[in-house]
Amino acid sequence: MVDWRLFEPLFEFARKRSLWIVSFCTGCGGIEMPPLMTSRYDLERFGMMANPAPRMADLFLITGYVTPKTLKRIIITYELQPDPKYVMAHGSCPLNGGVYWDSYNAIKHLDKYIPVDVVIAGCMPRPEAVMDGINKIMEMIENGTADSWKRYKENYEWYKKNQDELFGEGWREREARRWIPWLMDKKEE
Amino acid sequence: MITSMIGIALKAFLILLYATFVGFMFMGIIRIVTARIHRRVGPPIYQPILDTIKLLSKKSNITHGLIYDFGVLYALGATILALMFIPLGSISILRAYGDLILITFLLEIPMLGIMFAAMSSGNPWAGLGSQRALLTLLAVQVPLGFAIVALAEFYDTFSTYQIVMAQQTAGWSITYLPLLLAAVAYDIVLQAMFGKEPFDIMIAPGEISLGPMVEFGGKHMGILQIQHAIALFAETLFFSNIFLGGAVVTAFASSILNTLASLGILLIKQLAVLLIAIFIGAIFPRFTIDQAARFYWKWPTIIAAAGAILAAL
Repeated sequence: MVDWRLFEPLFEFARKRSLWIVSFCTGCGGIEMPPLMTSRYDLERFGMMANPAPRMADLFLITGYVTPKTLKRIIITYELQPDPKYVMAHGSCPLNGGVYWDSYNAIKHLDKYIPVDVVIAGCMPRPEAVMDGINKIMEMIENGTADSWKRYKENYEWYKKNQDELFGEGWREREARRWIPWLMDKKEE
Repeated sequence: MITSMIGIALKAFLILLYATFVGFMFMGIIRIVTARIHRRVGPPIYQPILDTIKLLSKKSNITHGLIYDFGVLYALGATILALMFIPLGSISILRAYGDLILITFLLEIPMLGIMFAAMSSGNPWAGLGSQRALLTLLAVQVPLGFAIVALAEFYDTFSTYQIVMAQQTAGWSITYLPLLLAAVAYDIVLQAMFGKEPFDIMIAPGEISLGPMVEFGGKHMGILQIQHAIALFAETLFFSNIFLGGAVVTAFASSILNTLASLGILLIKQLAVLLIAIFIGAIFPRFTIDQAARFYWKWPTIIAAAGAILAAL
């Protein structure tokens, strides 16, 4: 077998310069994405592309506040992505609750449920701030510190405990039965 | 005997390398030109290569069973086989009588392979996208068939190589009215084969999440990127061979110089075909599937049928 470690710098460069974003824009930060992707700021210069399918995405943007309902989708979408995958949280809301600090129905700390690589503070961060965060995540990929996908695997028990505390045991099966019943019933046979 | 076999294998390998590289450059050109039309800067031209390296170097990979793996390889294999049949300059590795029909058939096979794989994944978007891709394939057949019949009727042969050779003495095909009509119809069909805009309803990124592609990730998607690059090269090469005169340069004494000159001329013709497709794709919105099928069964069919009738007269 070929020793692929030799090519690791090339792979890191390719990962850095070809971050595909999964188009799952939660909350109000989604409105910052059109100027970023179109001719005003043009993120495609760095090889970034909005991608509708989570299976081929690398970068997951959490753009704004997270409710329990979206958190379920966020966790499922995050787990659909192949490794290595990176998470960037926009704005104050996923960081500490932001203006929803005393809301009964908003998640205050996103990093209790999925690991986050880069957090951009602000309400809302300007596109320049988002580009600064993207620059930061590129640096982190280059020097190997963007390892949230490893942390998720290593500390899966802790993340799963937090998720189950919020949604109750077996929430994945309940959700799956709701959305893809034909596949779930086939598994039982 | 053995040396000639090794020579052919080496030629096939070099053609494959050249086609993959130029195909990736074409993909980069598509992205840059589209960006410039949007008044953006656009990615560097080698961006698709970086994308493919990244996809192939993914650490985890998801499979949905044997057909899922097989369909992807089937698509890649069919594209490579089609490439080997198309004459590149004066070289064509595989050459058979009737390869005009075979190549048009082989250029559509990859879509079937991708559909097998997509359908076996069980994703509803993939199923919907495959259904639309099948309908587009069905709609495309009629004008495509008429265009090919017009060509065969005009040159009285089904061999691509002989058509290229006939054009070296008699001039490009599109200088004759019946074949000009056939070329127009074939170019409209090419738009659906590239999956570019008026007829990209089968992938429709914002609508059905890339359709058949939705479930591919990691190495499967990497292989499909390579397949897409080779297919872009093969389709543009086939069009420039049968309608734009191909290129068989015999002006130089050295055969290497002749080959290089032929490749250069072919590259310019292929770029022209590609740029037309990009421009049309960038300025037109998307047809729904019933509009696309109705369009294909009306205008390109009429144009190509007129070409075929004129060629037969």
